[in-house]
Amino acid sequence: MVRILLKFSEEIIEKPITAQVILEHKVPISIVAAHTDSQGGEILVEVPSTHAERLIDAFRKRGVTVTVPKLIEIDSEKCFDCGACLSLCPVSAISLKEDFSVAFDDKKCIGSPCSMCVDACPVRAIKLVEQHSSGSK
Amino acid sequence: MREKKTSGKRSKRSITEINEKIKKGDVQVLTAEEMKKLVESSGVEIAYKEVDVVTTGTFGAMCSSGAIINLGHSDPPIKIHRAWINDVEACHPGAAVDLYLGATMMSDIKPFEYGGGHVIEDLIMGKEVEVRAVASGTDCYPRTKLNTTLTKDDLNQFYLLNFRNCYQHYACATNSRDEIIYTYMGKLLPKFRNATFSGSGVLNPLMNDPDYETIGIGTRIFLGGAQGYIIGEGTQHDPRNRFGTLMVRGDCKKMDPQFIRGASITKYGTTLYLGIGIPIPILNEGLAKKTAILDEDILTNIVDYGVPRRERPKLGEVSYEELKSGAIVINDKKVKVSPLSSLKKARIIAETLKSWIENSLFYLSGPVERLPTDMVLKPMKQTEEIAFVNTVMYDAVTCTEHDEIKEVANRIISRSVNHVIVADEQGKLKGIVTSWDITKAVAEGKKKLVDIIVRKVLTTTPNESLEAASRKMAQHQISALPVIDHNGKVLGIITSEDISKLRGR
Repeated sequence: MVRILLKFSEEIIEKPITAQVILEHKVPISIVAAHTDSQGGEILVEVPSTHAERLIDAFRKRGVTVTVPKLIEIDSEKCFDCGACLSLCPVSAISLKEDFSVAFDDKKCIGSPCSMCVDACPVRAIKLVEQHSSGSK
Repeated sequence: MREKKTSGKRSKRSITEINEKIKKGDVQVLTAEEMKKLVESSGVEIAYKEVDVVTTGTFGAMCSSGAIINLGHSDPPIKIHRAWINDVEACHPGAAVDLYLGATMMSDIKPFEYGGGHVIEDLIMGKEVEVRAVASGTDCYPRTKLNTTLTKDDLNQFYLLNFRNCYQHYACATNSRDEIIYTYMGKLLPKFRNATFSGSGVLNPLMNDPDYETIGIGTRIFLGGAQGYIIGEGTQHDPRNRFGTLMVRGDCKKMDPQFIRGASITKYGTTLYLGIGIPIPILNEGLAKKTAILDEDILTNIVDYGVPRRERPKLGEVSYEELKSGAIVINDKKVKVSPLSSLKKARIIAETLKSWIENSLFYLSGPVERLPTDMVLKPMKQTEEIAFVNTVMYDAVTCTEHDEIKEVANRIISRSVNHVIVADEQGKLKGIVTSWDITKAVAEGKKKLVDIIVRKVLTTTPNESLEAASRKMAQHQISALPVIDHNGKVLGIITSEDISKLRGR
């Protein structure tokens, strides 16, 4: 599966674009996170990697800006394992290990559409970063 | 010569004896976590016999921290009136070049992101800082301006001097409001969707000696990676409620940046995270028992920080065992919890202190005076009356979702208001409609009220301060707030117009 971030401008936000793409390509698309209002919005979706390219084209044709979501990265030099970020993560990507170290699972992180943990870090050790590959496996 | 007591079962252990053992290298030290295990497996009697010292540790945000700095005299000399280090204003409590830099003082240039705590950390790390000062100039201190750069090696004294550190335990924070709030207890999600807590529970220094038998003025401690001292009870020391605190002092020049860090709590401000560890000499069997305290026995209140009052509502009790498990139950719902202090560092501190003692690098000192055990924490005496929402709120003009737009428009005119609150049959808040919404509906030809109701409504409660309510309205650019009770029932309304009138009086 590949995670891609769909950005909808104000002009196209009311159109049922995601539904149209699903119907046209007959590919299941699961919505991981969504933030939309009348001014536009973002949807983070997961698509089968075999169909990713086709689907990205289909979204782009309809005026959607498609990017790979930024995920968070914890700077282990700065982090002192307080855990202030833990309870803010909606997908349990951050957890405490047995030895009370903060552990981060990038496969669960939904990244930029969420960002809830970023401003909770007292030493600013959490940053949103571009992913190097074309998303997770 | 010391006389051995022979009346009891065993002679009591003294600090002098323990220090002799430390010198010889055969002292028995356990961390507080190890002590619980030993007591659990072998009992208090054996634990008392075998263990000389139990080490504790905590690493958390300690806001009432700061550093005493002596800059040395300039030539010509200056009697500083105001001074800044890396744009953070220091206070100048004494003679010419003595400064006190508070951890929560924020930078003039980067407030909320950089502050006194960061300056202290930077200095300890060996970084160069910029010092700027102004003065009025006197016959003996003619200089009026100063600009220089310094490192810790250039300072005469650089001591951590903290008024209130190391709380015995602390409340667990959550938020009833319908919005995210940023507090000194961290970021709290709306409607009790998360909680935070502070403190290391079983490793907490004061919790392991709750009657302060061995902790007092002169007790040598681990402070920020160096050896420091307790110089008295901390401000707001509240021993009867197990909210004991400490005043401490230590030499910053010897501290380790691993155990002392500047921090920024979003929308609250800057602070200092500090590591403190206290050795508890096991002088009697009672102390062996006390240091075996369990997380499940350390209870604290779940407190609603959504109510910004001195007495915040308590929602229940929770143990540190539950808090450390990562989730607690609030109003029958499982809620994730964040520790704000580092439990990992607390453990490292207790272990480091243990190894110092085992390696004859740290000797114990008994208190020359014990901490008070019976003082009471007083609230502030206030001479000015503070207004709360309940003094300004009035009955709201309401309607139901089924009313016609025209009816609501008539009500707005006849009652001469701008806001109509939408409530259900039980009086519960469903939304709000303003005269502007009605005007817009007419212009757009909308007929049904349900199409124009604003459903996401910010609210207030009767005991919120007017200042907090006005802040909320200003922040969200709105002009009124429905007043509701804890069940969402509408009690009234306050408007920014009414608050302005009150202020104008």
